[in-house]
Amino acid sequence: MIPHLTKGAIAALITLAVGVICLVLQPAVPWIAKWPAAWVLPATDWVGAGLTWLLEGVKPVARAFSAMMYYPMLWANIALTSTPWPLVIGAVAALGWILGGLSMAALGFLGLSFVLASGYWVESMNTLALVAVSVPLALLLGGAIGVLANEHPRIKSGVQAVLDVMQTVPTFAYLTPLLLLFGFGPVVGLIASAIYAAPPMARNVLLGLERVEPEIKEAAVMSGGTRFQQLFQVEIPSASTQIMVGVNQCLMAALSMVIIAAVIGGFDDIGWEVLLTMRKAQFGQALLAGLVVVVFAVVIDRMSATLAQDRRVTYDRRVAWGVLAVGFLVSVLFWSSLPDPAGFETLQPLADGVDRGLTQFTTANGEWLASMKNGFLFYVLLPLRIGLAQAVLPFTWGFAWTGQMSLVLFSASAVLGVIVALRGNVTLGALLGIAAIVLVTGIANLPWLFVLVGTAALGWVSGGRRLAILSVVLLSTILLSGLWERALLSLYLSGAAVFACAVLGGTIGLLSAISPLVWRVVQPICDMLQTIPLFVFLIPVLMVFQIGEFSAFLAIIAYAIVPMIRYTRHGLTETPAEMLEAATASGATEWQILRDVRAPYAAPTILLGLNQTILYAFAMLVIAALIGTTGLGQSIYLALGQADVGLGISAGAAMAILALIADRMVQGFAEERRRALGL
Amino acid sequence: MSDTKTPAITCRNVWQVFGPGAETALTDALARSGDDADVAAQELREQGLIPAVQDANFDVQEGELFVIMGLSGSGKSTLIRCISHLLHATGGEIRIDGENIVEASKARLIELRRKKLGMVFQHFGLFPHMTVLDNVAYPLRVQGTKKSDRHAKAREVIELVGLKGREHHYPRELSGGQRQRVGIARSLVADCSVWFLDEPFSALDPLIRRQLQDEFLQIQEKLKTTIVFITHDINEALKLADRIAIMRDGKIVQIGTPAEIVLHPVDDYVREFSKDVAKGQHAHVASVMNTGEAMVYGADDPGLRKDMTLDAALARCMDLYEPVPVHDDSGKVVGVVNPADLAAALQVETP
Repeated sequence: MIPHLTKGAIAALITLAVGVICLVLQPAVPWIAKWPAAWVLPATDWVGAGLTWLLEGVKPVARAFSAMMYYPMLWANIALTSTPWPLVIGAVAALGWILGGLSMAALGFLGLSFVLASGYWVESMNTLALVAVSVPLALLLGGAIGVLANEHPRIKSGVQAVLDVMQTVPTFAYLTPLLLLFGFGPVVGLIASAIYAAPPMARNVLLGLERVEPEIKEAAVMSGGTRFQQLFQVEIPSASTQIMVGVNQCLMAALSMVIIAAVIGGFDDIGWEVLLTMRKAQFGQALLAGLVVVVFAVVIDRMSATLAQDRRVTYDRRVAWGVLAVGFLVSVLFWSSLPDPAGFETLQPLADGVDRGLTQFTTANGEWLASMKNGFLFYVLLPLRIGLAQAVLPFTWGFAWTGQMSLVLFSASAVLGVIVALRGNVTLGALLGIAAIVLVTGIANLPWLFVLVGTAALGWVSGGRRLAILSVVLLSTILLSGLWERALLSLYLSGAAVFACAVLGGTIGLLSAISPLVWRVVQPICDMLQTIPLFVFLIPVLMVFQIGEFSAFLAIIAYAIVPMIRYTRHGLTETPAEMLEAATASGATEWQILRDVRAPYAAPTILLGLNQTILYAFAMLVIAALIGTTGLGQSIYLALGQADVGLGISAGAAMAILALIADRMVQGFAEERRRALGL
Repeated sequence: MSDTKTPAITCRNVWQVFGPGAETALTDALARSGDDADVAAQELREQGLIPAVQDANFDVQEGELFVIMGLSGSGKSTLIRCISHLLHATGGEIRIDGENIVEASKARLIELRRKKLGMVFQHFGLFPHMTVLDNVAYPLRVQGTKKSDRHAKAREVIELVGLKGREHHYPRELSGGQRQRVGIARSLVADCSVWFLDEPFSALDPLIRRQLQDEFLQIQEKLKTTIVFITHDINEALKLADRIAIMRDGKIVQIGTPAEIVLHPVDDYVREFSKDVAKGQHAHVASVMNTGEAMVYGADDPGLRKDMTLDAALARCMDLYEPVPVHDDSGKVVGVVNPADLAAALQVETP
């Protein structure tokens, strides 16, 4: 009896076979597992030389541009730092009133008051000045790209691919070539954030224009409008809600990047302050500076989000003028006696208190915390990374791993796999075998041939032959460029984090879907986590667990878990009412409805959530290099420090390749599910 | 209808084919089949292309209300988009007032749309960010008309469609029927002479639909524009049309007056449409009476006239068995009809 094999089963069996072959032949032909160093091309150097040559050519233009940008930056800086702080606070509150009435005005006022009280006023205004200059650049650039792509359908898919790449290339990787082009200084941060913030704008403009109802476009044509009139009088205004979503995302991306760009230093902004205090292990201070960043993010996000609301209420402008006037009056009346904003130390005791509390906490709980951290490292992360065969040592596990143990594990998994396969589930059976191989060898030590075949198989199942070929070709470039081991290390850490996010986030999402009460607690936390710039995630984990892989692991989870929660809940709660009624009418219990109706219907949405989680994890992985990870993220960070364009770009590209392959595969599975459901 | 005047709209061998390389594929297919449309269409389908409109031929006279009817997917919306040049026809010739618009330049098309053409859409196509007044005035705005002038003109049309007092509402604040009134007003504001309506009442409730149909007929009475009207509703077509073209799978299968469509369907497809129609209300005595040399009729004269509907005529001669005379407007006897024939013409086919 030969059961009819599904695509998945065939792919899994082939992968398993290759894995077994690799394991068996490894002692005899070592190159089958470990890519020989002699086969590595000096691609990194070539990329470096090529790019340096190219950049040298563009350099004069770049330097001229940099000189040009110097002035708007200077003006924005002067305007923000020399304006008396009561007036700035008044202006922000007034803006808040216009955008969202009392609640937004209060948010603006309280937010900036906090900034003032923190003593980081000047640094904050420096950051804000950078954002204020980079955002208009990004909006213009992104808007122009979006409109052009909409006007010329032929370049649309190309533009979309470029936008994809721009958003998957890790942020740090941008910085190295920019550093070479523009030299040290705030202009690099400015340009980087404009480049980084343009894609979301372009994407939303394009999406908005595409989604304008065809009849609205036709009505504009039949009214006798020229193309220009159609576009600017009808299509763009009709798409304004979506475009405003783009503006919001653009602002947030710009802020995030401006803060990240602080790692290159040379500018006294709030990101630099976070970094500096973190390096000096002044965690109370770092937390304070981090909170200032968070406050900025929240204020900017919530205020600009009101622009994208469907029906906007207009608030009485006179109130805004009044608020502004109060700010002005206070500034004028107390002109000479206004306290220096840098001198505020209202929150200093708080920062010191946090420091003290933290020291007490870590000394009191140090043992427990350390044992938790080490336990996780020794029993989960390390085996995943280098395999049971190497990770199980008498020192940690109490015994040494032997060949017999491997053999026992393999046989057990083989027996179990065969049983499962005979009962009809060949795919699961083969996967059991593959899991055993991964467990014993460890992700970082997996034979390259096995990884390549496995990726190809996965690509073939999810997206057909084209995706399989694409994945193999892209992975081979990593292999050839000698970044393979680092890539696997990155894969291991982000893979572990993504897995944890999927389990944890999926559970929280499920609970939130079942109980509105849970969601009411979880939702604001998710909102918060999504608003916080990447950088700030590092502070709390660093405070408790110090530098190391475990801290990075936690930071990645904290950042990447949100989409998993959101999409899981969204998918599970968005089942059409009719389907639920039909299930209820058939006599299904709540649990049966969840399992048989809601979950299958939610599958494509949950997969999209997983996809986002993967991309988020990769993004954070690079940032986490600051607190100690190995792999590509570390290379990118090191390259930045040494201004090594070749390494920076190559490692960045490798990172983008991993993200791209993961993205396409999960999308492929989601697409397949959607098709199966007829959506 | 006189043949001496240039028709307002002329369609000659109009094709709309979707798919890569449609234009060459159509030329080749026509050349190979010796201009046989059915053979060419079949060949195009086999190549994976979609002939959405095949070989459409008709004239619309000035002031005529021409209805194109068909089920969804029959190509009627595609055809009206070819005539209004929202789609560039793949092949053939479309003349508006004698001018071939398939070959018109971009600038000329804009000019035509500003001065001559108006269009109403199924889902209204209103601009969500503009008030009723600005929506209606938009065709004038693109021409650069002064704000006060265009608003004055827009107010006029808004009053014509019965929306006075709602000038400053936004589309989202209006009901479906009101939205379509805005759509109608917008299409009329620039004094078009050719008016395209793409299923204008299909998205509305039956009651509102009837009300708007009646108002539409009144407006047409006043303006006497040439109209191409799309619908999938046979009753709407019969109620409004001077002539009806029935489409199926991209082909026009019959063109005729409402009575011709109801009484002499060319094939089962058209017959299927008119099956449930109250024929008595749409066909006239003239279509069933006998004319000729020997007009023999009985003693009873119930006073039938040739433009009476079958229902009205039958009501007058229900109890008669002999043929009765039919008069024209002047009272002269122009034909004879047997009451049994009247009843037979009304017979609804049994499935």
